[in-house]
Amino acid sequence: MAVLVLVLLPAVAGALLFLLPRDDVRASKTIGALVALATIVLAVFTRHQQFSATWLTRPFVSNLHFGATSISWWIVLLLGIATFGAILATNVSRTRSFIALLLFLEASMLGLFLARDLLLFALCWDLMLIPVFLGLIHWGSHPATAWRYFIYNFAGGLLLLLATAAFGLSVGTTDVIGGTGVALVGPWVPWIFAGFAIAFLVKTPVWPLHTWMPLTYADTPAPMISVVAGVQSKAGLYGFITIGMVFLPEMMRAYAGLFITLGIISLLYGAVASLVQTDAKRVVAYSSLSHLGLILVAIFSFNPIALVGALIYIVAHGLFSAALFLGLGYVEEREETRSLVRLGGLGAANPRLTGALCIAVLAALGLPGLAGFAGELLMLIGIFAAGFAWAAILGLVAVVLASAYFLRLFQGMMNGPVRPDLPMRRDLTWIEALAVVPLLLALLVLGVNPHPLTTFNTAPYLQSSGGGR
Amino acid sequence: MVHHVMGVPGFYPWLLALWLLPLLGAIVCFAFGPQLRRVAGAFASAIVGASFLFAVICWGVGTQTVGGALGAHQVLFSWLPGFDFGLLLDPLSLVWALVITGVGCLIHIYSIGYLEGDRAFARFFAYMNFFIFAMLTLVLSDNFVGLLVGWALVGLASYFLIGYWFDRPSAVAAARKAFVINVVGDVGIMFAIILIYSRIGSLSFGDVFANVDKLGTATLLAVLVCLFLGAAAKSAQVPLHTWLPDAMEGPTPVSALIHAATMVTAGVYLIARCAPLWSASKDAQLLVGTIGGLTALLGAVLGMVQWDIKRILAYSTMSQIGYMIMGVGIGAYEGGVAHFLTQAFFKAQLFLGAGLIIHALSNEQDVRRMGGLAKKMPFAFWAMLTAVLAISGIPGFSGFFSKDLIIYGTLANGHPWLYAVGILTAGITAYYMFRLFFITFFGTYRGDVDPSSLGIRHPELAGVASAHADAEHLHMSGWVMNVPVAILMVPTVFSGWLLFGGTHSPWARFFVSQFAQIRLPAAPISEGLTSVLTFVLVLAGITVAYLRYATPSAQRNAVERLRRETVGMPPVLSNAFYFDAALDALFVRTSQWLGYLAARYVDPLVIDGGVREVVISTQWLGALARAFQSGLVRAYAVLLVAGAACFIAYYALAGGAR
Amino acid sequence: MSGALSAPIANYVALSGILFFLGVTGVLLRRNPLIMLMSIELMFNAANLLLVAFARLWTQNVGQIFAFLSITVAAAEAAIGLAIVVVVFRSARHVDVDETNLMKG
Repeated sequence: MAVLVLVLLPAVAGALLFLLPRDDVRASKTIGALVALATIVLAVFTRHQQFSATWLTRPFVSNLHFGATSISWWIVLLLGIATFGAILATNVSRTRSFIALLLFLEASMLGLFLARDLLLFALCWDLMLIPVFLGLIHWGSHPATAWRYFIYNFAGGLLLLLATAAFGLSVGTTDVIGGTGVALVGPWVPWIFAGFAIAFLVKTPVWPLHTWMPLTYADTPAPMISVVAGVQSKAGLYGFITIGMVFLPEMMRAYAGLFITLGIISLLYGAVASLVQTDAKRVVAYSSLSHLGLILVAIFSFNPIALVGALIYIVAHGLFSAALFLGLGYVEEREETRSLVRLGGLGAANPRLTGALCIAVLAALGLPGLAGFAGELLMLIGIFAAGFAWAAILGLVAVVLASAYFLRLFQGMMNGPVRPDLPMRRDLTWIEALAVVPLLLALLVLGVNPHPLTTFNTAPYLQSSGGGR
Repeated sequence: MVHHVMGVPGFYPWLLALWLLPLLGAIVCFAFGPQLRRVAGAFASAIVGASFLFAVICWGVGTQTVGGALGAHQVLFSWLPGFDFGLLLDPLSLVWALVITGVGCLIHIYSIGYLEGDRAFARFFAYMNFFIFAMLTLVLSDNFVGLLVGWALVGLASYFLIGYWFDRPSAVAAARKAFVINVVGDVGIMFAIILIYSRIGSLSFGDVFANVDKLGTATLLAVLVCLFLGAAAKSAQVPLHTWLPDAMEGPTPVSALIHAATMVTAGVYLIARCAPLWSASKDAQLLVGTIGGLTALLGAVLGMVQWDIKRILAYSTMSQIGYMIMGVGIGAYEGGVAHFLTQAFFKAQLFLGAGLIIHALSNEQDVRRMGGLAKKMPFAFWAMLTAVLAISGIPGFSGFFSKDLIIYGTLANGHPWLYAVGILTAGITAYYMFRLFFITFFGTYRGDVDPSSLGIRHPELAGVASAHADAEHLHMSGWVMNVPVAILMVPTVFSGWLLFGGTHSPWARFFVSQFAQIRLPAAPISEGLTSVLTFVLVLAGITVAYLRYATPSAQRNAVERLRRETVGMPPVLSNAFYFDAALDALFVRTSQWLGYLAARYVDPLVIDGGVREVVISTQWLGALARAFQSGLVRAYAVLLVAGAACFIAYYALAGGAR
Repeated sequence: MSGALSAPIANYVALSGILFFLGVTGVLLRRNPLIMLMSIELMFNAANLLLVAFARLWTQNVGQIFAFLSITVAAAEAAIGLAIVVVVFRSARHVDVDETNLMKG
């Protein structure tokens, strides 16, 4: 029951926000932040709990079944922290509606990551598009971007729904996530796999399905995109792990070469494209393409070490990309531009902002001692051990490129001579700092001691390692 | 081959304290910088001093041998499954720890004076303490991952300190360059880790060294090449050396500590630490020895033609590390490590001495605008003189002993070409160091001479201070800067004597258990003769320098001579053999070009172009469907009837059989 | 086999066919929506006739019941159709279906 409360709490709270006075920004933010905190607390206490109620019995069994899996529990915590930060960092017009959208977004993603039922998963997949779409339409500057985001992801969602239906018809139930895997058989399997895979690739995104992403990441208000880039982008990878590896391992293995190639192309493509972006948010957007490409490679290498690395990196990437986008949002609010050509010299006037961005950037470029490094190293070890030596080497090349484009981003904004033509408003307030501090602390703690993340049992995901099932 | 178990396991509180104190200092300086203000410097120095004290206390456990285990091993925590992180203190890491904290403490104290009045005084000391912590992590780690952590963190500290004056574009660019090139090295070590783990399944030094034979010849070579990539990037070996001269953008104490005495020698430490691996591969030894020799020579050649006092010292650092890498590369581990020790002293002293001058001349760094400083700055004169004598290898001074050990080692290990390079480089070293010394201290002060009459075309690019210093009112340093330099003079002169006595020297006995399995065979030319040969070339170098810069006529015509030398400099030398341009064209421009290709053409034209095709086809289908949607009821009715007629016809003709 | 029918089933089918064809012709050829609605009723009744006839033939009353359902639906449909015609007339002042194409795509 507590799990159901966890899923519904942000949605209900989001709806109730509209009872508040329209212009009471402080109340909206306080309530929003408290709700986000409450979801974190609830998630901690409901780690091993589940909620289940019958929903459909025909044409296949589908239940309202919620409960964290060993992987998704971490993503749910990440989601709570990211939403907390996003709500505190919100500084837009119509604050009340925006925070309500953030809460709806959190609720839909809680539903997605806590769903134990595939149909539920597919429905939440589509639900989580709506808040972002509305956010882009109302607070973004280009409606076309909103449509592009929606059409790409909704097309993926449609394929996911079809694949889910086919899955349900061939298995008889969709209440399968987190359960023991029975590999699917039958003539429909390639189509089911194709449906899932395309939906997951669009969401992550992976080259060449990524062109919605730089636009969306640049145009969405920073607090919302910090949650989207941090958590929503993990939905596809989570799907590959919990659905693909468990139910479709043979297809995953058969097409591993293709997906690893796509992952490597994303990795390098994102890295070189990041090098030349002048929009700060697009630098991070393309870096995300690069980083998530590596996780895709790690997943498809079917190696226990790589999988542990992938989980660490999923969490780490969520933390640092959320922190980066919040930081970039602060810069944009202050200086009214995101252009690396115009920005510069902010370090002198904004030491706290500089420090926060510095830690986020260092985590992003894989500095040892921060969480990204452990994930990167384990993924590369696993990828190499799985026999994809060339992929591991190209992954290392991307590490070098990452240091170049992230330093370019950081130094372009913070270092150099002070620009007299920039407004240079105040440094972070303590509330703004409070929004990023939990993310940075988590990066530091998991970087020094990633042990809690490494203890998860990879066996269910690698059952068919021997070839049989 | 006998392998020692890595360290006696146990609980070593002093070792922990030695390691963690600087981290504590860094955190305190960061968090309470505004409150500490000027006390930050004294506090940070005291922290490093205490760390040094603990290192001395740890001497006993660091050199102990119990049942074949050498040194002290402190297990800390399990970092990742199978990767236990622990500290290892044996003679090798003890030497490094002592130098890092000892020289580090002196440089901290010196910095209090050098950075007096700086805007972010406490932040500077936070970075410095953080660097000490990172460097200690590097040398005290008992496994490759911990080493890599330290490796990357010293790179980070170096980045912060090179870019300490972050409003200067040149400092910012230099910091980024240093960081990225160092990441190339980190990545090399990462790949070595991947290879080692895939073959041996462990990353602790003890396990890896005990299972060298599991690697196989080809993999071992690959591992060593990757490790050397790391060492080359960190220790400024050709062709990854280009960041080091640029790194001189940092404050001078930083150059002394990080870019001369400690961090840049991490590559030497790595190779000495992995001696069991290197000794197992002749090919790798040849590669490393050759690159080291090449770097020594190249650094020395480029050192001859620099004008910025710090860049002269930077190239000389590069050259000296080339010696060390050559030494440890070909198997003369004791010699390489000894040269690290002596170089740490005399190079730190050179930088600190240069810092005294730069400080006094209000940030003037161009030697052409100095001159005649011997009388004005007698303390700096003596400090620089002892260090110059030491680096040149004058018998009796520290550099002489350690350099000869390496040069002799190359021949003993059968590398006559490297032997020749070593001797030749010694001569060049003596020349460019005395060139620096004569130009700076002899003749008359040229700070008030117009830069163009010295041949300086772009003063702002050449490290020339914007306002020239008044020769009569030099900004003299106080005791807080002079005392550390004075203390450093002692080991600069005398530390070489530790090496005196061949296999019975204190140095050899200190390392007898560490490198026991690696004893050098006798060489065809005796050690004594080697020293004589080297000394002859050194004298020749000094003589040439004297003739060019210090004879009475040269001193009188200094301005004209310097102008002629500046103008007549071949471009290939003033552009440092175009290494920068080549790396830039090969890697930087290429990846930027690919980036433009991806972001400007592939994304909007190819991929979105494909998507647009889908959009257009959909629109076309829509137009087709729209034609039927006339809005006229009777048209719909016709279609309906026609459709029904089709059905009926179908069943009438084909369906009748069913 | 004539069941409870008084005439052969073929006669019923033929009559139904003629009625249906008349209805179709009316819908296709007339431009007045009222006539078109009446023609649609004609087609309904053609179908109803078949339902009732076959119900008698097989002596199963389901067909009879279905005919009633169909009549009810037809009535409802006629009501809505007439309402639409009235609305169209009010806005366009005529009810010529060839002049009314608001739903053109």
